[in-house]
Amino acid sequence: MPDYKDIYWQKLATGKLWLQFCPSCQKFIFYPRGLCPYCLEPELEWTPASGQGKVHSYAIVNVSALPEFKEETPYIYAVIELAEGVKMPSNLIDCSLDKVHVDLPVELTFIERDGKTLPVFKPSEEA
Amino acid sequence: MSKMFQRGQASITGIGELKPSLDAGGRTTLDLLGEAAGQAIKDAGLHKEDIDGLLVTPPSEDSYFLWPSQVAEYLQLSPVFMNMVELGGASAAGTIARAALLVDAGICKNCLCLSGGVWDKQVFNTREGKMAVMSQAEIDYDLPYGPMGFNSGYALIARRHISQYGTTPEQLAKIAVDQRTNAMLNPDALFNQKPLTVEDVLASPVIVDPLHLLEIVRPCSGAAAVIVSRLNNGSDQMHDPVTIWGFGEAYTHNSIIYAPSLTESPIKAAANRAFQMAGVNANDIDLVSLYDCYTITVLISLEDIGFCRKGEGGKFVQDTDLTYKGSLPCNTHGGQLSCGQTSFAGGMSHVTEAVRQLRGEAGPRQVGKNRLALVNGNGGVMSTQCCLILRRM
Repeated sequence: MPDYKDIYWQKLATGKLWLQFCPSCQKFIFYPRGLCPYCLEPELEWTPASGQGKVHSYAIVNVSALPEFKEETPYIYAVIELAEGVKMPSNLIDCSLDKVHVDLPVELTFIERDGKTLPVFKPSEEA
Repeated sequence: MSKMFQRGQASITGIGELKPSLDAGGRTTLDLLGEAAGQAIKDAGLHKEDIDGLLVTPPSEDSYFLWPSQVAEYLQLSPVFMNMVELGGASAAGTIARAALLVDAGICKNCLCLSGGVWDKQVFNTREGKMAVMSQAEIDYDLPYGPMGFNSGYALIARRHISQYGTTPEQLAKIAVDQRTNAMLNPDALFNQKPLTVEDVLASPVIVDPLHLLEIVRPCSGAAAVIVSRLNNGSDQMHDPVTIWGFGEAYTHNSIIYAPSLTESPIKAAANRAFQMAGVNANDIDLVSLYDCYTITVLISLEDIGFCRKGEGGKFVQDTDLTYKGSLPCNTHGGQLSCGQTSFAGGMSHVTEAVRQLRGEAGPRQVGKNRLALVNGNGGVMSTQCCLILRRM
């Protein structure tokens, strides 16, 4: 496994979401890569994410072809826009289906799935 | 100044298309491709030996390895130039743009554009089937959250459009309804048994909210072939040639998660490039063939091509008759939503139908004005775009 994938999953295993940051572009990067996709420089830094974001859009999955999700339906699959400006796919949990909406403020939390710690999101306390 | 693409040098002289089917009857992609190719060669009044270019879309079930070479061997073709075009759903339209370039450059006289595939229901709705169309980045960082392939991708777009612009489920459903009206006059459509109503669409199961079953394309098996020729290609000219008057492509993302915008697609840039090359604009277009994997795809396409302003697509489709009788005939064969998505050939059906209409050979669903058609191919989740402008000479 390349170093960047290793670092990403190792940080998650300790309950932290870290993002890559390009010091030359001053931009955050998601998903992890071996170089900055904007300037192609290979030297990237790692920094902890603020954990704040909002729902850019979402889909409620009623029918899933994935065996481990069949018992989970309906569930919320979402694009989260992090405060750092990057977007990532995730799930919205602890949120009733009639409460979810575009631009809903959310905060980072973690779940265990398939032996992995995954970053997911829940509605912000103040929301 | 460098040589520019010359409008009118490359024309579509032959088309062939198999009736979409849920069961390919044991035939392989190669078998289907061969049958469609034979039809197109005959339609063009050519002989197999006249084919000197081969552009193929990827196979659905065979190995990609040396695919153009596999096809050439199976059909015993000896092209001077061949290649595989992989732009997802835009691959078929992409073969036409590339064939036009080869013909315009004088490399090929008659370029065969081939697409097709066999739908495997055993694999389609499985983890393996979903992973087969995912990038490694999607497998690593997206799959753990239970995305439902293209369904969830297009659902994200529809949800954002609904939220941002107030687009309604009824407006989206109207697209499927109008296309079904067209399909009722297409004996080759998979779904032409009965007309649809908006209520029918909204009563169908919500697979991935906000997408209803009847707004989602049905995968199936089939193939289609198109021959792009240089004028004076030595054929008997069975039909008035349909000229490739312009084309344009654009790309902004692979996974929709990382797209610059969910509601504005690269179709806008692709269409602008095609219009610029053709020297026409949206007002000049008589009919459209728009890649329709979902109703939302058609709505976004109509906006981004410029038939209405961004965000007003819902009202536009509500107020516009999109059938063959209407002011903007759209997917007059019924589109993939009614004909089925014949793997990579689903995108070729938009080309073949536009050619039938421009030739005046569309039978009972023939449109009145048929000089200029716009075809769009869309791959991934609004990822790869290829826009063609076709003109009857």
